Amino acid sequence: MNGLLARSGLRFYWRRPWQLCLAVSGIALGVAVYVGVDLANDSARRAFQLTSDLVTGSTTHHLMGTGGEIADSVYRTLRMEHGPVRAAPVIEAEVRLGRLPDRVVTLMGVDPLEESGFRGFSGFVPGRGTDLTRLIVEPGAVLAPAPLLEELGLEAGSEFGLLIGGETRTVRAVGTVLETSSADEGPTAPIIADIATAQELLGRTSLSRVDLILDEAEAERVRALGLPNATLVPAEGRNAAFDELARAFRINLTALSLLALLVGVFLIYATMSFAVVQRRGTFGVLRAIGVSRRQLLTGVLGEALVLGTLATTAGILLGQQLAEGLVDLVLRTIGDLYFESSVSAVTPSPTIYWRGFAMGLGMTLLAAATPALDAARSTPYTAMSRAALERSTRLLALRANWLALPAAAVAATLLLVSSRSLVLAFAGLFFVIATGALLVPSATRLLGRLAEPLAERGFGISGSLAARGMAASLSRTGVATAALSVAVATVVGIGLMISSFRISVEEWLTGTLTADIYVNIDGEQFFDDSHRDALSAIPGVRGSSQTRFVPLPTAAGEVGLRALNPGPDGWGLRMTAGGTEAVERLESAEGVLVSEPLAFNRQLQPGDDLILPTASGEQAFPVLGAFRDYSSNGGTVLMPLSVYRSHWADNDINGIGVYLDDETDREIVLEEMRRVFGAGAPVRFRSNEFIRERSMMIFDRTFRITEVLRILAGAVAFLGLASAVMSIELERGRELAVLRALGLRPRQVRALTLAQTGLLGLAAGLFAIPLGIVMAALLIQVINVRSFGWSMDLEIASQPLALGVVLALSAALLAGIYPAVRAVRVGVAGQLREE
Amino acid sequence: MSTAEAQIRLTAVNKTYGAHAVLEECNLSIQAGEFVVVVGRSGSGKSTLLNLIGGLDRPTAGVVELLGQSLAGLTEDELSRVRCRRLGFVFQFFNLIPTLTVQENVRLPMALNGASKAQGIRRADLLLRELGLDECGSRFPEELSGGEQQRVAIARALSHRPNIVLADEPTGNLDLETAEEVLALLEQTCRRHGATLVMATHSREVLGTADRVFTIRAARIHEEPP
Repeated sequence: MNGLLARSGLRFYWRRPWQLCLAVSGIALGVAVYVGVDLANDSARRAFQLTSDLVTGSTTHHLMGTGGEIADSVYRTLRMEHGPVRAAPVIEAEVRLGRLPDRVVTLMGVDPLEESGFRGFSGFVPGRGTDLTRLIVEPGAVLAPAPLLEELGLEAGSEFGLLIGGETRTVRAVGTVLETSSADEGPTAPIIADIATAQELLGRTSLSRVDLILDEAEAERVRALGLPNATLVPAEGRNAAFDELARAFRINLTALSLLALLVGVFLIYATMSFAVVQRRGTFGVLRAIGVSRRQLLTGVLGEALVLGTLATTAGILLGQQLAEGLVDLVLRTIGDLYFESSVSAVTPSPTIYWRGFAMGLGMTLLAAATPALDAARSTPYTAMSRAALERSTRLLALRANWLALPAAAVAATLLLVSSRSLVLAFAGLFFVIATGALLVPSATRLLGRLAEPLAERGFGISGSLAARGMAASLSRTGVATAALSVAVATVVGIGLMISSFRISVEEWLTGTLTADIYVNIDGEQFFDDSHRDALSAIPGVRGSSQTRFVPLPTAAGEVGLRALNPGPDGWGLRMTAGGTEAVERLESAEGVLVSEPLAFNRQLQPGDDLILPTASGEQAFPVLGAFRDYSSNGGTVLMPLSVYRSHWADNDINGIGVYLDDETDREIVLEEMRRVFGAGAPVRFRSNEFIRERSMMIFDRTFRITEVLRILAGAVAFLGLASAVMSIELERGRELAVLRALGLRPRQVRALTLAQTGLLGLAAGLFAIPLGIVMAALLIQVINVRSFGWSMDLEIASQPLALGVVLALSAALLAGIYPAVRAVRVGVAGQLREE
Repeated sequence: MSTAEAQIRLTAVNKTYGAHAVLEECNLSIQAGEFVVVVGRSGSGKSTLLNLIGGLDRPTAGVVELLGQSLAGLTEDELSRVRCRRLGFVFQFFNLIPTLTVQENVRLPMALNGASKAQGIRRADLLLRELGLDECGSRFPEELSGGEQQRVAIARALSHRPNIVLADEPTGNLDLETAEEVLALLEQTCRRHGATLVMATHSREVLGTADRVFTIRAARIHEEPP
């Protein structure tokens, strides 16, 4: 009996190859998106882990200075005053290869004699035949990663150029450095030089940091030394903020992939439930001739198992391909957001494939279980009667409306109690989606009824029949429209989030970039007040702003300190806490302002104190308020330049903003400005517009991964829509044949089919709009804030909304073409006889 | 009987499905207003004959003419127009549109012919009253019994005043008592409205009231003596 049942199920799909193909591709695409993103995420995580291990090795603490550098003398003092200590000085910088100027590599200066206990040769080792003595004594001697030399077509002993501060410096590879991690994994090792060589190449006398291996007692002793302009930071702490952000980024990305999977799940549900609903009559007959409920349930689930296995396997293979493209995007995005160094792709963990398989198959079975249980529970009469099915579906739709209430309550509770938890926030989001999905079947019925007079006026009898059919065939249209609305809403929601973010960033840039021209200096050089005075004296210049930016090590991670002497147009801040009063108090040097991500990550509020390492030791600064800042999510502290100078005894300036009179000819002023610095000075002049354009370019690149996920979700939605709509229309063959027998012309039959599919698409598109807006609001107001600490305004742009409706309509109309053509081509007599 | 007045004429009609001949050399002529019954065993080709007359299927060879017009050269659009204006169908399984009410089902052919809604409602109500269904207009087909559904189908078949009504096993799905009632109604209503009725059936009871009876045997059509 079970064999016959299986054969019946098999033949059902065999006779409907289109439905089979669409169902398999819908599931496969859903799984592929999840697996692809998961693989990409895992690769990123492992690559970062390896990078972190490689750079920090067994280091327990870092001694760091203000401005990302620490004086050489601090290291000597430490050695002299602390006594025996396991410490290794490090100088580190990103440089470019002379032959491949686009390629950034890390140049790391170390003391080979001190390195043995550190990364030392735990992350990488000198290649065979490498003479470490030459590394120490020969000028320009470096150890280069073997793969890099191979890429450049060089051998050990060859010379090659490094681009540093706009100049080419020649180095000689006296040996190679090998990675101890497996050859196809992990990031590229840095170019290693002796610390003195590195300082000479980089034109620096300072160090980047001192790595230490200390126990707690030793750490206390180092702290007690009170080394000038140096902060002891636990190695974990230094990366903690970065790890937290990278984790948030990954969770966000995973959640987006889960959202794509959810779209897939809804579509799988629509597909599977339709396949079961379609055969309810057959199931009724089977039940009537003695097939037990268990046998029926087993049969349907077995069918789902086969279909799910097939589709999930295809999805995993597709996901593998997808991951290759996504890894690059994810790493580039993380690079843009957090990490300057390029990280290469790694081999992901095989457990992801199993997870993807379990997820895809589990969801397919779950999607099939509900209609299967419904079919098994029904009496044979009910199962056979279409009228009974429609009655029970209408009842279910009414119950679903009531169920939406507790679903909404759960969503609200989760969102309210989740506080800072991203996982709970996502759970809340999924309940919001479920609430929307539960309301859709009744809304579909209502829309069908409301649309009937309009459809009749617009398309005559075909329009009227189409609208009536949508409302009356709720067993077919209800679930499908709910699934499609969720799918389209996801596309709309992500689209609105991106456009809102883009608009917020544009507004932020307009508010922040108040000067007309920004002047910066390359490398390790700085401006001073004389440059400011000279620039301000140029005719047509109405004022200037000066900025000093320094990275500050703190126990809770690195923060960026921006000291600003604002120009004539003020601070250009949009406050998120503290209001304008906080800005006034900032001008009065009463405290500091913190960027929104910093306030969120450290839970800082106006009135709290922020401890920063100054030249005279750690000092508490009152937090006056928080401002919107998209420039970094690592956190920024803003204070007046005068306050910075008084605490850090540093008169350098990194950048000057120049404000021009309205009538001034920019080119003439630029000419004058170049004259101030003289020819060949490593000074860059960038217009407000240029910076804005570049920033938006980076923004677009950063969001490319989200955009790709949106496109993938759109593709899943498109396929699912096409699949569901096509299945519904193909099932109506007999009804269309009757209408043709009554005299409905081919043109009218085609119009009827397309009107019906178009209405379904339109319904999905229209219901997706409010759901998409709610999703966008949650992604913006809850998810993004908890992931990155960024707030933004929800801007309901028309383009993403229109795109959602167009996507739904076009998919539905395209899906209607084949059934419309088929309904006219297939003989009426044959269609009628089939019944 | 003059063939010039024939409303339905089949000349040397053949219909084969693959190698299987369903109808061979069929010649038939039916006058306006006649009540013609086609009998034969299951699978003998009765439904195929009605499908060919109704333009739902095309003959493999031969000519089918309705109201003096050959169907052979007509496009699908033109065939639809012929069905819409000249023909009414009654099927064994009723084939009512489940998403339309009884009254809407009945006025559907009129709507297809461009009649106004008011005209359609008037005519549908009249027919439904005539067939004893005046209380059922706002109900859906699923809420009616089999006999009631078939009466709705009869009303639908006559609503647009067709010249010809084709009924394919109209009682095949009904119990004996209801079947007799439906047959009587169908015949009387068609006669009252002046429509030619061609009915394919197993039922021998109807033979007594028919004007002419044709039998299909071994793919050939034979007229029974009166």
